Order: sequence, then C-alpha cells, then structure tokens
Amino acid sequence: MSIDTFIEKFAFAIEEDPAVLSAETEYKQLPRWDSLNALSVIAMADADYGVTLSGQAISDARTIADLWTVVSSKAPA
Amino acid sequence: MTQPVSSVAIRAVASAMPTRVARTADYTYLTPDERARFEKATGIAERRIVHPGQCASDLCATAALRVLELLKWEPASVGALVLITQTGDQPVPATSLGIQHTLRLSHTCVAFDVNLGCSSYPYGLAIVSSMMRTLGIARALLLIGDVSSLTCAEHDKSAWPLFGDAGSATALELDDDAPPMFFDLMSDGSGKDAIIIPRGGLASRRPAGDGPAELETDRDGIARRPDQLILRGADIFGFAISRVPPSIQRVMAAAGIVAEQVDFLVLHQANKMINDTIGRKTGFAGERLPSSLERCGNTSSASIPVTLCSNAKSFSSRRNRILLCGFGVGLSWGTALVSLAQDVILASIDSDHVY
Repeated sequence: MSIDTFIEKFAFAIEEDPAVLSAETEYKQLPRWDSLNALSVIAMADADYGVTLSGQAISDARTIADLWTVVSSKAPA
Repeated sequence: MTQPVSSVAIRAVASAMPTRVARTADYTYLTPDERARFEKATGIAERRIVHPGQCASDLCATAALRVLELLKWEPASVGALVLITQTGDQPVPATSLGIQHTLRLSHTCVAFDVNLGCSSYPYGLAIVSSMMRTLGIARALLLIGDVSSLTCAEHDKSAWPLFGDAGSATALELDDDAPPMFFDLMSDGSGKDAIIIPRGGLASRRPAGDGPAELETDRDGIARRPDQLILRGADIFGFAISRVPPSIQRVMAAAGIVAEQVDFLVLHQANKMINDTIGRKTGFAGERLPSSLERCGNTSSASIPVTLCSNAKSFSSRRNRILLCGFGVGLSWGTALVSLAQDVILASIDSDHVY
C-alpha cells in the first residue's frame, strides 16, 4: 500500500488526470470538487481498501496525504 | 433480531406516480458536465413529480383502490390501514384518517400514521403483520408514500435532482399457509442530522412561527429555508455501505439461507453507487438487484414497492424469495425476507388524481 497508488485511485475516482494531483493537493480546492466526488472517494476507499470513510473524514482532511493517513491507518493488514 | 412473523400473506403490491416528468438533462442548476457525472453516479435520468395540489395521500389512495379492486375486497373487510409518510397532508390530524374516509373503510378499521422514510417498507411489514397476528385482524392495507419534491429547494443540487414522488399500497391477509417473514430492524438517532427538515410542525424544537422563513446557509454552502430538507450525502454513504450489509446478512442467517438461495435483493433506491456497493458486499448484482433509479429517482419511503412494481415482469411466476432492505433518514434501517408470487406485484400506475 503506497500513497502513489492511492493518488492514482483517487484521481480515477474523481475522473481527474493523476498528473495534476500530488500528496499535497488540497482536493476540496480543485475546481471540479463537489459532493459527488466525495461519494466517489468514499466508494473507492471501500472497494479498494476495505475502509469506510465518513463524510466528516472527507471534510476534515485537507490534502490527499491527510486522507491517505486516515485510510492507511484503518485498512485491514 | 426480532422473531419471524408467520401466517401473514402479502396479497398485492401496487404503486402510483404522477405523470409529470423532471429530467436530469433539463436541470439548469448543474452544468452539462455536472449533469453527466450526476447521472452516471446516481443512475437517475428522470423522475416523476406532482403538480401543485396532489399529495402523498392521493398517490397512496390510487394504489389502494387498485389493490382493493384487484382482490375484490369489500372495504368493510379491511381491519387496519397504516400510512407511513414524512409528507402528510397536514400536521394534524394523521393523514391515514382522510384516506380511511376516501376508501370508504369501516369505522372499525384501525388507522394511524408512522413517521419513517427510507426504512419504511421493512418496518411497515413488521408493524402491520405483527399487529394483525396479535389483534386478530384478517385484512390490512399498508400505504407508504412521499412527495419529497415539495420538501426540497429547487436550486438545492444535493437533493432536488434525486427525489421522485410516489405512493404505494400493500395488501396483507392472515393465512395459515403463508411462509414466515423474517425481520431485522435498526435505529441510530446519533445520525439524525444527516437527513433533516429542521423547522416546521406545531411542537417541534423550531416551530414554524409567523411570517416568511429566512434562508439559512448550511455548511455545504447551499441556502435553504429551514423548513426545507437538508441531505448530507457523504454521511449517508458511509453509513449505508458499512451498516446496511450486516442487516441483510443477519436476516439471511436467521432464515438459515445464503445469498445464492435468494432470488432478488430489492434495496431502497438511494443512488446507484450506494446500491451497487451494498449489492457487491452481499452477493447481488445485475438482474438479482433490480432498480428503479433511472426512471423514478429516489422515491423515498415508497422506493421498494416502486422498484417491485417497475420491474413486475422480471419476477418469476413461481414464488420469489426476496430480500427487501430500506435505509436512511433517522438513521433508521431494516431488512425483511419475504416470499412473493409474480401475480402479487402489479405494474406501476400513472395518476394525477386528487381525492
């Protein structure tokens, strides 16, 4: 499990070019970010990592790295 | 986990929707790109919404009259009428009383309302069937419906394009030969703010008061009147995909069966992403996971009967073993395992009738 893979999956979930995203991207500032993207990211975390992200976790995290910290700490080994 | 209820048969399920169509493609508060993403994620292309004046009670009464006609039930033979809605005709009295009169049911008929939303169908089957057994009521009508379009602000892109209006009627009868219905019914009020109309009603924490309501901007940046619905989709998503699959699994375990032995899983129609995820986790996809999202949207409390009726032809002519699972506002969720023959499920009715 690496953050690079997570960024790729994150980009796929929100239909964004992975090249424009990095660990430090503040995803809620992306021009196309909206509540549908939040749902897509929750679905991705569930399907690919077995982790249930709350709506609160999505709004509390600032960068993709912040969110990866939550996902990687909750993911079953 | 509650005990199964035996000796109560579901005789008919009908649903009714207004004829007015609202299309995602015509919703101008989203850009064309957003509309395309919305439709892909939610699965909703269009839904039906009422013309001014038509109520949930009208849609439910239309469905109920169809059921009574089909079964040739004399109105006087119906011993109970339970209406589940969050959009009654008025705060007081209970809307079920008006419907009792419209349907010309007897004065000996038990009638009352229940305030639940997305979880209404499994809850309603449990309430009505157990009451029939305990009180010895031979025939009952379970009516479920909402006109959610009237509760949302039209500019609220987190709620307005999701909801369709619909009513339904399910006829139940005592029958010693009926197979048992299994139930799992759950509640978690710590999530009450996830879907909420904060203000209104006569004795609420925030009564309606005098004069026009001021707009209030929620943390999602959308301004609404406080008597309009707030839907926090991301909160519901996390709840639905983590708490709902175990409910479905508990019911199968109680009945001693596995997913392969169940013909269909009919879920509350929240959105495509949620429903596909719950289906994946419980072993249902494709034809075994019927949907009405594309043409009807999220029809709130009525979504399970609407999905049954919209897919009436998909069910086999023999008895179908069906899991019915509702989840959402409350938070409230539940699952029922029932057995239905195809001829019990009637094709959906289009109606703008006002009683």
